[in-house]
Amino acid sequence: MTSAQSATTGAVDFAALAEDHAKATLNILEDFSEDKARMEETQHAIFNILRDFSEEKNWLEETQRATLNLLEDFDEERIKAEGVSRELQESVELLRVAKETAEASNRELESFSYSVSHDLRAPLRHIGGFSKMLVEEFGSTLDPGAKHYLERIQSGTQKMGLLVDGLLNLARVGRHSLTRQAIELNPIVAEVIAILQPDAEGRQVEWVIAGLPAVQCDPVLVKQIFQNLLVNALKFTRPRVQADESAKVGTSAPTLAVIEVGCTQENGSVVFMVRDNGIGFNMKYVDKLFGVFQRLHRAEDYEGTGIGLATVQRIVQKHGGRVWAEGELDKGATFYFTLGMERQAESKSNGATAGGRL
Amino acid sequence: MNTLELDILLVEDNQDDMDLALHALKREKLANHIFVARDGEEALDFLFCRGKFGQRSFDHPPKLVLLDLKLPKVDGMEVLKQVKSDPRTKTIPVVMMTSSKEERDLVKSYDLGANSYIQKPVDFDQFRETVKTVGLYWLVTNQPVPVNGVHELAVRR
Repeated sequence: MTSAQSATTGAVDFAALAEDHAKATLNILEDFSEDKARMEETQHAIFNILRDFSEEKNWLEETQRATLNLLEDFDEERIKAEGVSRELQESVELLRVAKETAEASNRELESFSYSVSHDLRAPLRHIGGFSKMLVEEFGSTLDPGAKHYLERIQSGTQKMGLLVDGLLNLARVGRHSLTRQAIELNPIVAEVIAILQPDAEGRQVEWVIAGLPAVQCDPVLVKQIFQNLLVNALKFTRPRVQADESAKVGTSAPTLAVIEVGCTQENGSVVFMVRDNGIGFNMKYVDKLFGVFQRLHRAEDYEGTGIGLATVQRIVQKHGGRVWAEGELDKGATFYFTLGMERQAESKSNGATAGGRL
Repeated sequence: MNTLELDILLVEDNQDDMDLALHALKREKLANHIFVARDGEEALDFLFCRGKFGQRSFDHPPKLVLLDLKLPKVDGMEVLKQVKSDPRTKTIPVVMMTSSKEERDLVKSYDLGANSYIQKPVDFDQFRETVKTVGLYWLVTNQPVPVNGVHELAVRR
C-alpha cells in the first residue's frame, strides 16, 4: 500500500502520489546517474584504450621511421658496396686484359720462334748445302782463293745455324711449362759432364763435384743450366794447360784446369755454384754477362753465340730463383744460382769431393 | 717418267730442298725410283692413284714417303692424316722431314700415325747422313707389308 492511500481512505491523496512519483523519478534519475557514471567510466576506459592505441601508433610510427632510416642506411651501404664491387670488377677486367696481353705476346713469341725455326733454317741449309756441293764437285777447278771464300761462307752458315738454334732454345725455355719434381742433381751433373767429354778431349781437367741435395726443380731445364755453365767453364779454362808444361813457362798461377760444382746454404735456400779457374772476366762487365748476344771475348778466341747465359738466367727466373756471377781477370769465374724453393732434402755429405780427371 | 712402280715419294715444294735431297739420295744410289710431288694435292693424287696418276695401282705403293710439313694447297699434316686414315694407304711408311722441331708438330704427326719424324739439319753433311740413314733403313732394311696384307686390311675394315 502506498502512502497516499493510507493517509486518506477513499480519497486520493494527490500530495502523497506526487511525492511517490517524485521518489520514483528520483530513483530513476539515481539509476540514470549510476548508469551515467558507469558510462563515463567506460568512456574513460575507452579513452585510455584509445590513448594506448595512440601511443602504440606513435611507437609504430617511430619504429617505421627508424626502419626507414635503417633501410636508407642499408641503401647507402648497398650503393657503397656496389661501388666497391664495381671497382673490383674493373680490377678483374684490368687483370683479364693484362693476362690476355701477356698471352697474346706469348703467342706472338711462339709464332715468331716457329717461323724462325721453319723459315730461317731452310735458306741456311741451302747456302751451306750448295756451297759444299760446289767445293765437292768443282773444287779441283777452283783456285785456292775461291775455295777459301767458300769455306768462309760455310763457316758463316754454321755459326748462323748455331745462333738460330740458340735463339729457338731460349724461346722454347720461355714457353716450357715448369714441371717441378724432386730431383737428385749429382746424376744430372754427371750426365752433362759425360756429354761434354768430346770437348775436353786431349785436355787435363780436374772436376771437383760436391754432393748436391735433391731439390724440387724441372729436370730438363736444370740440366740445361749445368750444361751451359759447364760448357763455359770448359771453354774458358782452355789456356790452363798441364802442370808440367806450365812449369816451363814459369807462371805461379795454378795452371791445371779446375772446374768445381758445389752448393752452400743461404737463408734456408740452396745456392748452387759452378766455379772455374779460367780466364775470368772484369767485374765491371758483370752486368753484361746475362744479356742476349753479349760476349766479353773475341769470336776468334772463344767461340759462342752469347745466348748461353741468357738462357741460364731465363731458366733460373722461371724457377723464381736468382743467378749472379763473380770473376777476376785471369783468375777465374764463379756462377751462383738458386732455384727459388726452400731446401727440399738434406744436403748429402756437403763439401765432399767426387773428383776425377778427364 | 714411269710413276707406276716407285720406291720413294718425295713431297717437297721448295726447289732448293728438293735438289739437296735428290743430291743426297743420288749419292746413296737411292734416287732411281723417286717421284717428287710439289704440293700436298699432287701427293694425295699420287698416293690415291687418281687424276693424272689414275694408271697407278694401290698394289704398288711407294716404299717410303718423305713428307714436308709446310706445303702449298694441302699441307703435310692433312696429307699424313688422309694417308693414315685410309686402309688402302695406311701401311705406307711416312717419314716427316721438316725444318721444324716444334713440339706440337711432333706430337700431332705421331698422333696422326707418322712412322718417323726428322728435323732437316742445317749442316749439309748431317743432312746427307740423315737422308742416307732414312733411305737405307726404309728401302733396304725394313720389310714392307705384303700386297696381300694390304688387301686383307682393306677388307677387314
